[in-house]
Amino acid sequence: MTSTLLELQDLSGGYPPVSVFRDVSLVFSPDETLGIFGPNGHGKTTLLKTVAGLIDPWRGGVYFDGHRLNAEGDMPARPSEYVNYDFFRRRRTQARTAAQAGLIYVMQNNLLFPELTVEEVLAIAPQAAFGRPGIVQMKDTVDHLFPRLKERWQSKIRYLSGGERQMASIAAGLLAMPRLLILDEPTLGLSPKLRVELANAIHTIRDSGVPLIVVDQNAQFLSNLVSRLVLFEHGSITREFKGSNVPDHDELITMMFGETRG
Amino acid sequence: MSFETLLFVLASGILLGGLYALMATGLAVVWTTLGVFNFAHGSFVALGAYIAWQVSQLAPTGPGFVIGTCVAVTTMFGFGMMAHFILIKPFERNPSMVLLAVIATLAAATLIENSLLLIWGPRDKLIAPPITEHVSILSVHINAFELMALGVSALTLLALALFLRRARLGRSMRAVAQNREAAELMGLNVPLLFALAFGLSAAAAALAGSFIGAIRFINPSFGVDPLMKALVVVILGGVARFSSPIYAAFLVGITEAFASFFLGLYWTPAVLFSMMIAVLLIKPEGLFGYQSKTL
Repeated sequence: MTSTLLELQDLSGGYPPVSVFRDVSLVFSPDETLGIFGPNGHGKTTLLKTVAGLIDPWRGGVYFDGHRLNAEGDMPARPSEYVNYDFFRRRRTQARTAAQAGLIYVMQNNLLFPELTVEEVLAIAPQAAFGRPGIVQMKDTVDHLFPRLKERWQSKIRYLSGGERQMASIAAGLLAMPRLLILDEPTLGLSPKLRVELANAIHTIRDSGVPLIVVDQNAQFLSNLVSRLVLFEHGSITREFKGSNVPDHDELITMMFGETRG
Repeated sequence: MSFETLLFVLASGILLGGLYALMATGLAVVWTTLGVFNFAHGSFVALGAYIAWQVSQLAPTGPGFVIGTCVAVTTMFGFGMMAHFILIKPFERNPSMVLLAVIATLAAATLIENSLLLIWGPRDKLIAPPITEHVSILSVHINAFELMALGVSALTLLALALFLRRARLGRSMRAVAQNREAAELMGLNVPLLFALAFGLSAAAAALAGSFIGAIRFINPSFGVDPLMKALVVVILGGVARFSSPIYAAFLVGITEAFASFFLGLYWTPAVLFSMMIAVLLIKPEGLFGYQSKTL
C-alpha cells in the first residue's frame, strides 16, 4: 500500500500565454483531509482543473496512486500563432483518465446539465466508477446525505436552487466512487441555512473515509473540517499548517491581511 | 375543386412532412450535441441514396430496396463518424470553431457532390420501390410505399427519442451537449459521443435519402433541396425539444403541398422562406422552442 495518493511535482500551468500557477508541489496521503485557502483570482481553480485533467499542464507531473496522469516532458511552445496545432498534438492530459482512476473533481459553481433531470444525471454519474465496487451502498449513502434530491427527483437541473444543484454535483461525484474527492468552493453563494446543511454533509463524507481536498473561502468551515491546510497565493503554496496548528478564522484573516486596528 | 383534391394535397403534405422530419431531426441532433451546423447534411442524403441505389441494382425487383437501404444506413453511420473526426474534431479547441465547421462542412458538401458526379454520372436514377400498390383511405388514393416511408420514419424518430431519453448512452449524449467540461469530469468519452451523434445524423440522412430516391429521381445535386427544407424546418421549429423540428417538418410539408398546388412549384420556396423570415422576426427561437440549445 502506497502512503501517497496524489502527488504534484513542480506543476506549472495556465491559459497560454498567461501563466497562472508555478512550481506547485504537494503530497497528499489517503488518510488526510486537505484544505486549500486563498484569495480569489490566485489560481486555485486553475490548479485543480489542471490536476483533474481539464487543462494541459505546462511543466511538472501529476501522480495519482503511483501512476502519472499527464504526458511526460514539458508542453512544447507554439512556434506560430497561425497553425492549428490541435491537429497534430494530442492533449497532454485527459479528464476521463483521471475520473476513471478515481480522482473526482466537483467543479465550482457547477451548472451540471441544465436540461437533464436529477434522476438522469445521477443515472449517468456512475460511468466513471469503472469497475470500482460498492455502487449500491453509495446510492443509499447519497439518499441519506441529500434527502432534498429525492424530493426534486424529476426536476430539471436548471430549476434547482444553487444549493440543490451543489448537492446534485456532490452526489454525482460520490456516485463515481471517488478514491479522492476534490470539492471546489462547495459553499459558494449559498444561504447560511443551506451552508450548514452542506457543511454537515461534507463532514459526513469525510467521516465515511473518502479522502477529500476542499477549497473554500469560509475559513471557519475549513478549519473545522481539515487535518491539513495550505495557503495558496499568487499561484503557489505559501504556507502550510498541520493537525492542531490549523488556524481558525480570525488567525487566518490576521495572517493574510494583517492586524485589525483597535 | 373537390374535397377529395384537398384531402389528397393534405395527404401528400403529410408524407412529405415525414421525410422532412427525418432529415431535420438528423440536422438537429448534430446542432444540439456539437453546436455546429452541418452543411454537408444534404450531400449525406444524396450519398446515402446513391449507395442504396447501387446496392439495390443487385436485385432491382424484390428485396433490392430493403437491402440497399440497410447497407446505406449502416455505411453512412460509419461515414458520419469518420466525417466528424475529419471535419470537426481538428477545430474542436479553436475559439472560432463554429465558423471553421461551417467552412469545413460546406467544402465536404462540394467534394461529396462532385464525387457522386464522377462516380455515377449526371443522369437521374430511381431506386425501384418494393411495393407499387395504391391504397385508398377516405377515398384518397395514396401510394402504399409512401405510406410505408411515413411509418418507418415515424418509428425511427420514436426509437431515436427513446434512445435519447432512456438509454444511458443517449442520456450521456445529451449531457455532453449541455456541459462539456462536466461531462469530461464524469469520465464520459466526449469525442466518441460526438462522433456517435454525427453517425446517427448521417444514418437518418441515408434513410431519408433512400426513401426520396424511391419516390422522386436522384441526381448528384439533389441533396441541396432537402438541406434547404431541413434548414427551414430547424429554424421554424427551434431545437428546444426533440419534438419541435418534427412539428415544424409537418407544417412545412403541408404548406409546401398546398403552395405547390395553388401557387405552383416556382412560388413554393418563396412561401417557405417568407414563413421562415417571419418566424425569425417574430419568434427567433422557433415556433415550438424557447431560449435553449439542447435536446
